[in-house]
Amino acid sequence: MLRESSTTVVARNETWRGDSATEPLEAGWASEAVFFIRALRAPVGPMPKLFVEISPDGMHWVREGACVAMPTQENGVAVVRVAHFGNWLRLRGELPEGSECVVLVTVHLK
Amino acid sequence: MPTHDMNLAADASADFRRALLQADPRLSRFDPLPRIITFDDFDRGHCGWTSLVGNYEGSLDTLLPGYRGLTGPMLSTLSHWDTGSHGSHDGSYALKLATRPQRDALSVGIKRLTFRKPGPIRLEMYFTFKPEATELMLSDRDVKSVGFLFDLQMSDRAGRAGQRVMPHLRYLNSREGQLQQKWQFKHGAPTIQDIGNAAETVSHFHLGDNDWRDLPEGGQRLCYNEIATKVNWHYLRFDFDIASMSALSFQCNDREFDLGTFESLRMPAMKNLWCMLNVALFAQTDANKRAFLYVDSVCLSGDF
Repeated sequence: MLRESSTTVVARNETWRGDSATEPLEAGWASEAVFFIRALRAPVGPMPKLFVEISPDGMHWVREGACVAMPTQENGVAVVRVAHFGNWLRLRGELPEGSECVVLVTVHLK
Repeated sequence: MPTHDMNLAADASADFRRALLQADPRLSRFDPLPRIITFDDFDRGHCGWTSLVGNYEGSLDTLLPGYRGLTGPMLSTLSHWDTGSHGSHDGSYALKLATRPQRDALSVGIKRLTFRKPGPIRLEMYFTFKPEATELMLSDRDVKSVGFLFDLQMSDRAGRAGQRVMPHLRYLNSREGQLQQKWQFKHGAPTIQDIGNAAETVSHFHLGDNDWRDLPEGGQRLCYNEIATKVNWHYLRFDFDIASMSALSFQCNDREFDLGTFESLRMPAMKNLWCMLNVALFAQTDANKRAFLYVDSVCLSGDF
């Protein structure tokens, strides 16, 4: 049987301000994940790093270690790869006061 | 062949088919019509179930408000903080729809097909629903509803009488913190709105809380169990005739419901949807807490 592979849109046209995160995603069937973050409009203000977080239960989160700088221009794309994440995955960042970015975040699992 | 012999052959064929189905552990718990259109066991992957997005033109900002926050499906082992992976009905994985943690938030999964013969179709599935276990409480009033719909459109040969028909059924579990525990259908003719400026795209949001009516004697108490992390699976079957665009029967677990008053959403046919056969599932939360609909497997069959 062919290996399962999927793309999940975990944030679509969402305006991120302040403490922002994707919704929890169960991905225990996959052994690797690639997050793409695209700025759908020109970001406003300084853009922070985003951190991959993992969780034992989808409710309590810890940083996995991988991180990536958010894109700084319209249609800029950032990417971060992870493996050995267990089951739960999300991407989280803290945008400084006054900063905002409209994002499309996808997770590519296999 | 004489008629009597033909009937005997048909009976033998039906018996043989029934024996094959009943001997197959994957299908023995379903009662499919003669042709299986899809059999989606989510131990095999997503099986063509994807996220719903509303129609847009030029920018995602043109999505109707109801479509903007929708979340889509994922594969889940029903993993819980206190007991670990619950697993599915007969394997590890189920399709999971998870809402955002805001009251009335919706999650939708959809599968898009077309039909080759207008006639009876049957949707069967094993499903369950739960709130996120963020509180050590019973939490049985935190899921608002779970449900399903067909999105159907007649053939392009239907002419001016062509219609798009959308039968919806939901289990209204709770509203504003009060248990409801009843099945409802959605009726009426939705308002179609233009999207963008090219006069090519329209949209309507059909998953709002408006225009739901109770099925006669549609109350049903399901097995919620006693805490948020104990899960029991339920059987559901819905029969619909695409030829007459009418509902035929509906069953959940031990109960078959009266569809005498059932209506579908109806609207004039749209220019790009001929012979459409979409199936969608949805979940909605009644609290500022995620609601989860899990589906172990879906069998869609037809009489053709």
